[in-house]
Amino acid sequence: MSFSVMLEQLAQGMCKSMLIFGLTLLFSMPLGLLVCFGRMSKNRLVSGIFGFFISVLRGTPLMLQLMVVYFFPYYLFGISIGNWRFPAIIVGFSINYAAYFAEIYRSGIEAIPKGQYEAAQILDYSKSQTFFKIVFPQVIKIILPAVTNEIITLVKDTSLAFSLAYMEMFTIAKQIAARDTTFVPYIVAALFYYIFNLLVAFVMRQFEKKLSYYN
Amino acid sequence: MKLFKKLALGALAVGMMATVFTGCGKKDSKTFTVGFDAEYPPYGYMDENGDYTGFDLELAEEVCKLKGWTLVKQPIAWDNKDNELNSGSIDCIWNGFTINGREDDYEWSVPYVDNSQVIVVKADSGITSLSDLAGKTVGVQAASAALDVLTDEEGQKALGDSFGKLQEFGDYNTAFAELMAGSVDAIAMDIGVAMYQIEGRGDEFVILAEHLNAEQYGIGFKKGNTELKDEVESALRELKKNGKFDELAEKYGLSDMVCFE
Repeated sequence: MSFSVMLEQLAQGMCKSMLIFGLTLLFSMPLGLLVCFGRMSKNRLVSGIFGFFISVLRGTPLMLQLMVVYFFPYYLFGISIGNWRFPAIIVGFSINYAAYFAEIYRSGIEAIPKGQYEAAQILDYSKSQTFFKIVFPQVIKIILPAVTNEIITLVKDTSLAFSLAYMEMFTIAKQIAARDTTFVPYIVAALFYYIFNLLVAFVMRQFEKKLSYYN
Repeated sequence: MKLFKKLALGALAVGMMATVFTGCGKKDSKTFTVGFDAEYPPYGYMDENGDYTGFDLELAEEVCKLKGWTLVKQPIAWDNKDNELNSGSIDCIWNGFTINGREDDYEWSVPYVDNSQVIVVKADSGITSLSDLAGKTVGVQAASAALDVLTDEEGQKALGDSFGKLQEFGDYNTAFAELMAGSVDAIAMDIGVAMYQIEGRGDEFVILAEHLNAEQYGIGFKKGNTELKDEVESALRELKKNGKFDELAEKYGLSDMVCFE
């Protein structure tokens, strides 16, 4: 087969990979904030539950989690799972990344000195005002490098969707490799991932520059 | 310099977006869903246009034409085939699917291909018979019929035990890379797949004349789903009668192996 056809097929797969990437970010980043609040709750029960959630999701392989999410409706409730493949992938990725983002947010929030809360209190800021107007903007600056790391990892992790036979780029690369009995598609796939991550890193660097208004 | 960098990255971004978005596809409606391993030529694989094809998939297409169904080709991860079938995300497994050893696990169609499990070695390895494999590392696909044969008491367990190591792998491309690189000494697989692989890779590899076993392929439906099985089977008989079945077997070089009458 010609190289251009292979490129087009891999690009088609890249489209699916980017869909996983985009939707996962969209859901996991806000969800992570929620989990983070739960984890930092003063209520011991709540923080315990969220702590457990985080430890399970960080402590087990994502590939396994994807399979559990995909197959549990059938094995638990006997429901046929005809069109559940793609949603299952998004759910699996989102809750996994939410756990990681939650810990990144926590690291940022805990980096804010206590004195700022006290100052805000004296200036009559409410609790939510203190968080959203004073703490959160600083948190974003602090966690940005860690978030960039996580996002770059996510780009590569989309390839784990192969375990549910979703036709993202890595799955397609494997299939082309099987048909043509060659390793070339893997090299091309690696290039695709690399270029996409270059872009991600570039965009994130622009964000960091924009936010470094005090330096 | 900075501007140049920005421009270059921008161009890259635009180029990638363009290729990616022109590549975006659409989905079909669902009727008869065949589950298959898309890395299993010549039975099921992706062709040069990016469509799934192969002997089994073309047969499924003809069956659907006869029945007026819409065929949905659903690639699956082979390790997950039972989960996929039981949970209803596919209607059958149709993909060079060996009956022997799995008789009671599925609702089987009549056998339609005579298959053998064989051993592939490097031509210059000096291995010429099954007994030469004693102490060697042999690769075999996870959850495959070849693995069953080599670990089953009634099959070739004695031979399997004589190997130095039975190395399980996910797909045949990796297995052949390992064989070339020398980390495995031989690979056990279906003869049809072996012939396809060797055709694609040249005469560096040979199939041992001694086969591990003789077995048959069928279409596997979920246990108890006799209704669908009977419908597909009758359509298959029709295809045999009108010559379409043999035509496809010839197209995929499987004429010597089909056993369906």
